[in-house]
Amino acid sequence: MDAYKYIGQPVVKVDGKEKVSGAALFTDDLEFGPDLLYAEVVEGPHAHAMINSIDISEALKVPEVLEVVTGKDFPYNFGLYMNDRYIFAQDRVRFFGEQIAAVIARTPQAAIKGAQLVKVNYTPLPKVLGPLEAIAEGAEIIHPDLKDYVHVPWFFPKADSNIAHHRKIRKGEPDKGFEEADYILEDTYEVPRFSHCAIEYHAAVAKYDHSGRLTVWASSQSPNTQRNLFAKALAPLGIRHNDIRVIAPHVGGGFGSKAGVTMEIMAAAIAMKVQGHPVKMMWNREREFYNTYQRLGVVAKLKVGVKKDGTITALKHDLYWDAGAYVEYAANVVNAVGLSAIGPYNIKNVSIDSYCIYTNLPPGGPYRGFGYSEFLFGLESHMSRIAKHLGIDDVEIRRRNMISEGDLTAYGAHMNPNGLSEAINKVAKEIEWGKKIKSKDPNLAIGKGFALFWKAPAMPPNASSSCFLKFNEDASINLLISGMDIGQGLLTVMAQIAAEILSVPTTKIRTENPDTDRNPYEWQTVASHVTWSCGNAVRNAAIDARDQIFALVARSKFLPADSLYLEDEKVRCRTKPDFELSLKDFIINGIQMDDGTFRGGPVLGRGIFMPEFSSTNADPDTSQGGHPNVHYTVGAAAVILEIDKQTGKMRILKVVEAIDVGKALNPSLVKGQIVGGLLQGISTVLYEEMKFDHRGKMLNPNFTDYKIPTALDIPLEIVPIIIEVAQPDGPFGARGMGEHPMIPVAPMIANAIDDALGLRIKSMPITAEKLCLEILKHKKQNK
Amino acid sequence: MAIPYEFGYEKPGSLDDAIRLLGVHGKNARLLAGGTDLANQMKQGYRVPQLLIDIKGIHELKEIRMSGKELHIGALATFFDLRSSSLIMGKANILYEAAGLVASTGVRNRATMVGNICSAVACMDSATPLLVHDASVHTRSVKGKKSYPIADWFIENRKTAIMDDEIVTHVSIPVPEKKYAGAYQKMMRYSGEDLSQANVSVLVLSEKKFHVAFGSVGPIPRRSPEVEQLLNAEGFSEETIEKANAIIETVIAPITDVRATKEYRMHMTKVMFGRALTTAMERYKKTRIISH
Amino acid sequence: MKKISFLLNDEARSIPVEPNETLLELLRDRMGTKSPKCGCDSGDCGACTVMLNGSTVRSCLVFAIEVDGQEIITLEGISKDGLSPLQKTFLEHNVFQCGYCAPGMILSATELVTRYPHPTVHQIQEAIAGNLCRCTGYTPVIEAILEFTKQEQ
Repeated sequence: MDAYKYIGQPVVKVDGKEKVSGAALFTDDLEFGPDLLYAEVVEGPHAHAMINSIDISEALKVPEVLEVVTGKDFPYNFGLYMNDRYIFAQDRVRFFGEQIAAVIARTPQAAIKGAQLVKVNYTPLPKVLGPLEAIAEGAEIIHPDLKDYVHVPWFFPKADSNIAHHRKIRKGEPDKGFEEADYILEDTYEVPRFSHCAIEYHAAVAKYDHSGRLTVWASSQSPNTQRNLFAKALAPLGIRHNDIRVIAPHVGGGFGSKAGVTMEIMAAAIAMKVQGHPVKMMWNREREFYNTYQRLGVVAKLKVGVKKDGTITALKHDLYWDAGAYVEYAANVVNAVGLSAIGPYNIKNVSIDSYCIYTNLPPGGPYRGFGYSEFLFGLESHMSRIAKHLGIDDVEIRRRNMISEGDLTAYGAHMNPNGLSEAINKVAKEIEWGKKIKSKDPNLAIGKGFALFWKAPAMPPNASSSCFLKFNEDASINLLISGMDIGQGLLTVMAQIAAEILSVPTTKIRTENPDTDRNPYEWQTVASHVTWSCGNAVRNAAIDARDQIFALVARSKFLPADSLYLEDEKVRCRTKPDFELSLKDFIINGIQMDDGTFRGGPVLGRGIFMPEFSSTNADPDTSQGGHPNVHYTVGAAAVILEIDKQTGKMRILKVVEAIDVGKALNPSLVKGQIVGGLLQGISTVLYEEMKFDHRGKMLNPNFTDYKIPTALDIPLEIVPIIIEVAQPDGPFGARGMGEHPMIPVAPMIANAIDDALGLRIKSMPITAEKLCLEILKHKKQNK
Repeated sequence: MAIPYEFGYEKPGSLDDAIRLLGVHGKNARLLAGGTDLANQMKQGYRVPQLLIDIKGIHELKEIRMSGKELHIGALATFFDLRSSSLIMGKANILYEAAGLVASTGVRNRATMVGNICSAVACMDSATPLLVHDASVHTRSVKGKKSYPIADWFIENRKTAIMDDEIVTHVSIPVPEKKYAGAYQKMMRYSGEDLSQANVSVLVLSEKKFHVAFGSVGPIPRRSPEVEQLLNAEGFSEETIEKANAIIETVIAPITDVRATKEYRMHMTKVMFGRALTTAMERYKKTRIISH
Repeated sequence: MKKISFLLNDEARSIPVEPNETLLELLRDRMGTKSPKCGCDSGDCGACTVMLNGSTVRSCLVFAIEVDGQEIITLEGISKDGLSPLQKTFLEHNVFQCGYCAPGMILSATELVTRYPHPTVHQIQEAIAGNLCRCTGYTPVIEAILEFTKQEQ
């Protein structure tokens, strides 16, 4: 094990001082001067309706209103994986609250007043508010033009239906596998929608200046992807990629909600109608709930066959996803799960059908976990039920089936090196698995629950990262990347990588949120992949810079390049111990030779990373043959849950989670993700519940009634465990883990409830109310 | 801008000035104390007063003190003031408990108990503690002083008996002669900030004298003479609690809304009643006889 | 319009306000004080927290005109002469992630340690329960405050 100076250290976050002093500027904090205009959306009051007419005349009369734009001004569709979405509704609205127009004014009040005066005539259409409803016979078709939509080649929409994509896995012989089973358990699990609830709203300001340059400031996880989608959607207006500049200030939480493009494209489009003026698109907490991405809902039908000893002989997993009105991003959630809904298990016979289904509800999209929390709720509940039925220990059945390095995944690729076994053992030990705990209070029941988890980054096979590394005269560094720090600490970890390779302390490295003009390309900060991907790019750039340094010193000082090394910002030589040359003495201005001439010049590192082994080429009917996922991060978790039998209220006494991160580049940040992610997961089980009425309108788009936990709602004890089985192609062995902490939480709580009370709950959330009413029902039935 | 319409603002320096303003503008004005409730109502367009009368300059309204045998809680006393007051902790423990469960610290630093009972929203925390204590609400107007027994104060959801030209100056709680103890139970979706979905206050005045009030489970918070009658007759026991639960089914009318179902509210009210009563009895037994 | 005067971070300020302006709007939109944030505009998230006469309040629920003659402290004021010891503890322990809740959270924590120099875990939880954070899971905040109060002993 190498002794690293910066890697593996709890280095203080490079943006910490700004954030702790209140100086960090977020998009809404930026000032644009008195010429700033404000845009307010006009929202549709139907979940599904044709738009007959839009009368903007009264709105235009409001003093200080400059412009009103509607879908007619921007008849351009866009999307990340499928172009099924428009900037403003065109001929119809497809979810309650969808934007149909925007009023642009000098003041927010005038914009709001104008928006209230836009008169729209609708003809309501039959609406579909659930995925099974949407694929039933005679269901209203939400996207009649589905067959004409441009999409990535690895999506399979079903024309003239509400199925936007269907990912199929057929591996081995599932029918035979079920015949061989000694026991088969078949059941259905339901997971509803959830909201990201980043504390900072979405925000975007755009300005189209008179040089033809469109600048967009946005709270964003994906400045380059946003620029790309703006360029493609707005190309008819005569704009090119290099005319568009996306600047991403600090982001107040993303969790996936600020990936892709949602409201930002409105600001970009509107700016082109009011050339010369910066315009701010106003969002608020209500819209954060119903008009940004939501986590998809799913109805999952699971059938698992096992032998008497618990080994799985076959798995059939049918997932019906409530993906919302527009699925340009959501369809990839469905795809990702379709490829991985076997969980971290070695199963020879697999049948998976993952359906992306349109509904008249807000657009589904990326959310921390990308579908894995959703399917794992069913799968890990199912495994525990099977174990209980067979009389096998919950942890033992996992050991018997867990996937190991080299085993085949659901699509036939080989599983990467991983510490799943170590994670299982460490978690079981820490939670004292097997030891029953009883409360002294007869009202309280205590149970233990266990779950495994895994996830691979879900991204196109050519998602890439790049880095420019720029030295300055004093040997300080500006590291230019487009990976975003959304709180996880990416910028810090990138600085640590550069620091380790170039021997420059992290305190002398500036890594800041990007500007697409100045910073080189990064696909998106999603998928828990940027530590790995951007980290590799930074590593490559640092090595590139180091190579240049050694080559320069070699030819100027006549030393063998392979004898040189860097230490404390100096070049040293193994074969000449007394040689040392400070970086600051030559890193910009070169090395002077005896004859007075100079060699070298500014040292600039350049690094890119794109996996060249990932491919979506696969049999469309079986998904066998491709390598769509670069690698999986795995782990295990367990919980001790205390239940008040009279009220249903639950308290987490202890939660343990082990994640194999390959290499914890910054352990304090890894722990931060585990603790934060666990609570977010706990929240989806115990507290958060989205409520819609029969019209498809969200009833609780606020923190008063959509409860996210406070400091009083945390577990009593949290034990994060870091496992390190190196990822061979990761920087210093690292792989990503930002999403993973919340993935096992729901099933392990459901398992703990079963352990404590003998009650199996198969739908989420499991609030105190739900559990209590279930307990009462059970009591009644047993009387 | 959060509040899109324009309105006026006055900050009277004395109670007399406030009363005078109310006498002229009462119908179109709202009194502004902590404002935590009013500000939201104005943002939602639920209330659109033409004039805000800021009474925070009337310092005499902030007092928490004894007034003879009564506990005097001024209109400007915040929930933080209640939590910091040894008088409230010692003599109105139910109110003290309830005050600690209102919202969060930053809201408790501003929100007033009187503002809470004037807003008369269903999820009030201060109502049932005051009901079991037979408190009185004291007002002044150009017509003079008036006081309302708390039982007559709440008319319907968001409506009290107050007249347009009246200002509440204080609430008084008669401190019982002999030893007493109480408890407050609030139904919340978790331990953090939440609006009450049901609440129960129980005051034990003797082994055969109980006051019980239920909040958020009917159009207005109220005492329950039916449950009280049972308790007064049979005293505290597990059996009495069971019998009381049966009565509770008939005297409260919880609804199903976005926060909870009526079934769960009904069940929780019974559980909370049992727990509040048990806790109150334990405290009563531990209390030493006090003399004024 | 009414001209109000008040102390903002120990500096005497004077500015005309309309009654329908909230304190949060005044600070952010017209006085360049950006640390208080808007997270919900209904007093539920605590991101708008400022100190009014030494106590934390939700500035989205305070009308600007109410602060005439009063004293306001925002995180900019706490950071004016360098990071406070509490802020340094938060920094060194990598407590904050996205940092959006930090201004409100730090003010609530500052109020807590002023009121209770040796708070229990429950007191800490209660003090910051009105500051919603989606990133940290709160435990690092609580541990840092405990660490800080231990150091101060």
